[in-house]
Amino acid sequence: MLLLKLAFRNIFRQRRRSLLTALSLGGGYILCVFSFSLSEGSYNSAISFFILDHTGHIQIHQDDYLLRPKIHKIIDDPQGLSELLDANDEIISHTLRVFAPAIAYSDTDNAPARVIGVALERERRTSTLAVKISAGVYIDDTLDAEGYYSAMIGAGIANSLNIGLDDELILISQGADGSIANDIYIVRAIVGDRTSPDRATVFLPLIAAQEFLSMVDSVHEISILLQDDGAARSVATSLQEQLPELSVAPWQVVESTFYQSMQTDKQGNVFFMGFIIFIVFIGVLNTVLMSVLERTREFGVLKAIGSRPFKIALMITCETSLLASLSLIAGLLVSVPFTAWFSAVGFELAEPMNIGGIVMSHMTGEMSLYVFATPLLLIIFFAIIISIPAGIRAARISPTEAMRSH
Amino acid sequence: MLTIKLAFRNLFRNTRRTVLTAMLISLSLAALISVDGVMRGMLTLLVDNVTGTIGGDAQIHRVGYRENLDVDLFMENAAEIERTLQRDTSLKSYSPRVISGAMISSSYNVAAGLLYGIDAERERSTSKVAQAVLRGEYLAGGDNELLIGHSLAELLEVDLGDRIVLTLSEATTGELAQALFRISGILNFGMRELDDNFVFINISAARKTLAMTDQQTHEFVLTFLNLEDAENPEHGIFQQFNNTETEALSWLDLNKEISFIIEIMAYSSLMIGAVLFLLASLGVINSIFMSIYERIYEFGVIKAIGTRPSEIVRLILWEALLLALISCVIGMLLGFAVGSWTATNGLGGLGEVEFSGITLGNNILGEFHISQFTTFPFFTVLLTLAAALYPARFAAKIVPSEALQRSL
Amino acid sequence: MNFIIRPCLEALANPATQLRSWLVVLFLCFHSSVTFAAERAIEIIDSMEALYQGTSSSAKMTMIVETPQYRRTMEMQSSSMGTENSFIRILSPRKDRGIATLKLDMEMWNYLPKINKVIKVPPSMMMGSWMGSDFTNDDLVKQTTLTDEYTLTLEETDELYTIILVPKTETVTVWGKIDYVVNKQYMVPVAQNFYDDNGELVRKLEFTDLKEYSGRMIPSRLEMIPMNREGHKTIIIYDDLQFDPPDVDESTFTLRNLRSRF
Repeated sequence: MLLLKLAFRNIFRQRRRSLLTALSLGGGYILCVFSFSLSEGSYNSAISFFILDHTGHIQIHQDDYLLRPKIHKIIDDPQGLSELLDANDEIISHTLRVFAPAIAYSDTDNAPARVIGVALERERRTSTLAVKISAGVYIDDTLDAEGYYSAMIGAGIANSLNIGLDDELILISQGADGSIANDIYIVRAIVGDRTSPDRATVFLPLIAAQEFLSMVDSVHEISILLQDDGAARSVATSLQEQLPELSVAPWQVVESTFYQSMQTDKQGNVFFMGFIIFIVFIGVLNTVLMSVLERTREFGVLKAIGSRPFKIALMITCETSLLASLSLIAGLLVSVPFTAWFSAVGFELAEPMNIGGIVMSHMTGEMSLYVFATPLLLIIFFAIIISIPAGIRAARISPTEAMRSH
Repeated sequence: MLTIKLAFRNLFRNTRRTVLTAMLISLSLAALISVDGVMRGMLTLLVDNVTGTIGGDAQIHRVGYRENLDVDLFMENAAEIERTLQRDTSLKSYSPRVISGAMISSSYNVAAGLLYGIDAERERSTSKVAQAVLRGEYLAGGDNELLIGHSLAELLEVDLGDRIVLTLSEATTGELAQALFRISGILNFGMRELDDNFVFINISAARKTLAMTDQQTHEFVLTFLNLEDAENPEHGIFQQFNNTETEALSWLDLNKEISFIIEIMAYSSLMIGAVLFLLASLGVINSIFMSIYERIYEFGVIKAIGTRPSEIVRLILWEALLLALISCVIGMLLGFAVGSWTATNGLGGLGEVEFSGITLGNNILGEFHISQFTTFPFFTVLLTLAAALYPARFAAKIVPSEALQRSL
Repeated sequence: MNFIIRPCLEALANPATQLRSWLVVLFLCFHSSVTFAAERAIEIIDSMEALYQGTSSSAKMTMIVETPQYRRTMEMQSSSMGTENSFIRILSPRKDRGIATLKLDMEMWNYLPKINKVIKVPPSMMMGSWMGSDFTNDDLVKQTTLTDEYTLTLEETDELYTIILVPKTETVTVWGKIDYVVNKQYMVPVAQNFYDDNGELVRKLEFTDLKEYSGRMIPSRLEMIPMNREGHKTIIIYDDLQFDPPDVDESTFTLRNLRSRF
């Protein structure tokens, strides 16, 4: 306690010096928080983007469908599985999907297409498909007066085939039983634009796609949205235990290349920030050493009257840590509101980015414990490390020499 | 002159402090140089992967071709285009290509892929196909030579010498065309998109299979002597070939997402550098203050005997300047050392990193640039001087009577 | 399927060919040099091909496609004239009833009744499988003028003739070698084997179950087995086969006929 009081007082003996040091530490902290916030924010934006776009937090497939998709790798009791997932509190919603490559025909043209059958209402709650519609309305799975199902097509298909809303679309593919899958659908919506990733996709109601491909009541993929963003891995593990015959993968596995690069980049960032803090601390070392040396006499006296070397070194460390802590408090006072603003509103981008139909107009940061805690720990760590040589120097002062010097 | 001598001597009165301050400045400079070097290396690698592999610095197509790669949208007058390209002295090389989707069959399997008919010799200077040959030989002009990506070869269960039948639609008529080739080389680009889907044959064979004349081409790939020319939309090539018939696009236009990333990278390294120096200068200010405090008695004396405030300011500034110069030399040496190390060894430890769909499997080699050793040190000195202004002003304002009262 | 089987079956059904084959065999007994063998092989195949120009046929078949995931049975009715023209219509299962394929020389069309559309098979689908079987569209279409595009050699044992076909350098095919194995006694095909360039067997077509059709002994069961796909095979069984039927003429092989009632 006394040590703390002393440390406090010692810091304020040289106000300007301490202030400048605190400024550099506080500034360093704010820089780090901003950098982490930006990096976390960008990555989390990207992650949210594809999680909501089509990946979901967790995906379930049969066997290695994810790596080598083949029409016969099916999940054959989707109803039972749906009941299980609906009952799970951690799951907000899930959707069921069927995939097949096909050729799309209009009266005059044809083009390759990717057919995705989705459980329409579930899909609306689990992904951003409904938002991406650029013309027409989100379909339902009823047959029209002539007995045709509706379809939503990518803008690329609309363009290549020269068809639009209310036109007929023919799809030809190979069914799961080897037969020629062929049927007519009515276009009721256009998805995205000609540069979207979905431009060559045809979305059908799940039941229509199952009939088309002769897949009786089975699906290729189940995509799950969770309450908690960070729980993907843990929920995936527990689901996998409940479903040993299927492959349950969290998004980190589904999008593993992205995930690996992200981890590498984040690690690089921490390393880089750490390095910057280190440089700042060289300046701090300067300050601390200076403050020790100008009190040589004082330390000499202390030692002469019996203070133990360790205590003296400890005091130096205390001072440094206290200064660091005060800087951190100041840094927090500035960076917390700024980060809050940054994550809620963010910088307006010069040109809004359009990624597959989703528009990003602002660059936002992340507000999280990680963002504030990591630089904090770095700074405390370095403060303690840097104080050691100074503390040792102080502890080694020989009282007689000290009292002789000025 | 006297001032300089004094300044120099003053610096070394407290060697330890000077050393630490010099370390602060020089390490900041060295860090900036190294990081800049690495960022440039990463950028070069990225750009190289995008342009160097097969994209080239710029491409010329018929208007509308790029949307669906419609095999019917070819340019008619190859000879005329080549004459125009020939005359442009800013081009390093150019090469024609004929491109079509095709079904690629072996005895065992069939897969959909993209067929590139290339002018083998000219491609050597426009793309990396020749360097990507893992096994076998590069194209030598023979009619049935074919190069295939290694993962595609695996899927089709084929190797060198095996037969491949390409099935495709002829240009304009859409008639069925099939042709037999023999695998003369297996390719490894290190990029999935290429290794999984591409086959390369001689352009004459491609034109024959597609029933196209030797005046018909889908694409001209260009490389420039100076990459900046490629990025300048005012440049002659772009002026000439952007019309109703054809379009000429630089690699930046062809890869919009990458150009965005590059802008961000440049911007952020600038920001980081600025903040770093700002923080460092706080330490410098502190350090100079400390040196003034140490000598406050002295300052009191010289002011008392008549030294003008401006002369004191000059002294401090000279001290700062000398310190800055020494630190810059050390910083540049350090930066050079680290830079040389990264330039030869590279940051290999990252392994394969995917950056916007492109695998940077190769080493990121650090790069030197003249600005690292001119602009950066210049700003370092400038900032150090700026940092010294506040303490210098303080020193100039010292009241002799107060200063003389303080013992050291 | 038509490209080799049809000529074989039809030629063998014709007594004139049979006789000629026997003559050739006799000839062989006395002259067994290689050149003569090659010429004879060409003769056999030539005569097979030459003899059904003008010959037409009509058949009822069952095709069974087996994969590790399913076993699909289809009944079809088919007609042919020469090697260039063939018409196949699916009779069952009900879902696919009415789907028809027309082949005229190198071009193929499919009619799909559910969508009421005639689709010309584009080049991108030529190497794809026909009706989900182990035969490709290309197999059906390939007009192999065997004697022109391949080099033939003949080997024989007491029971079998084996005609080895090696494609000439310009011939566009994925096969490195094909061989025909013919049963000497009945002069019927036993097997047709397809090899890659290294001599590895990639797929084989087996002919079994000799039955009598319009007075001729012909293998009624064909089995196509790919060697590189475990658990896959396609079986074709001839339920009925007629030669020169009265109801097959030029009008059978038209796009209009694809859509006609049956």
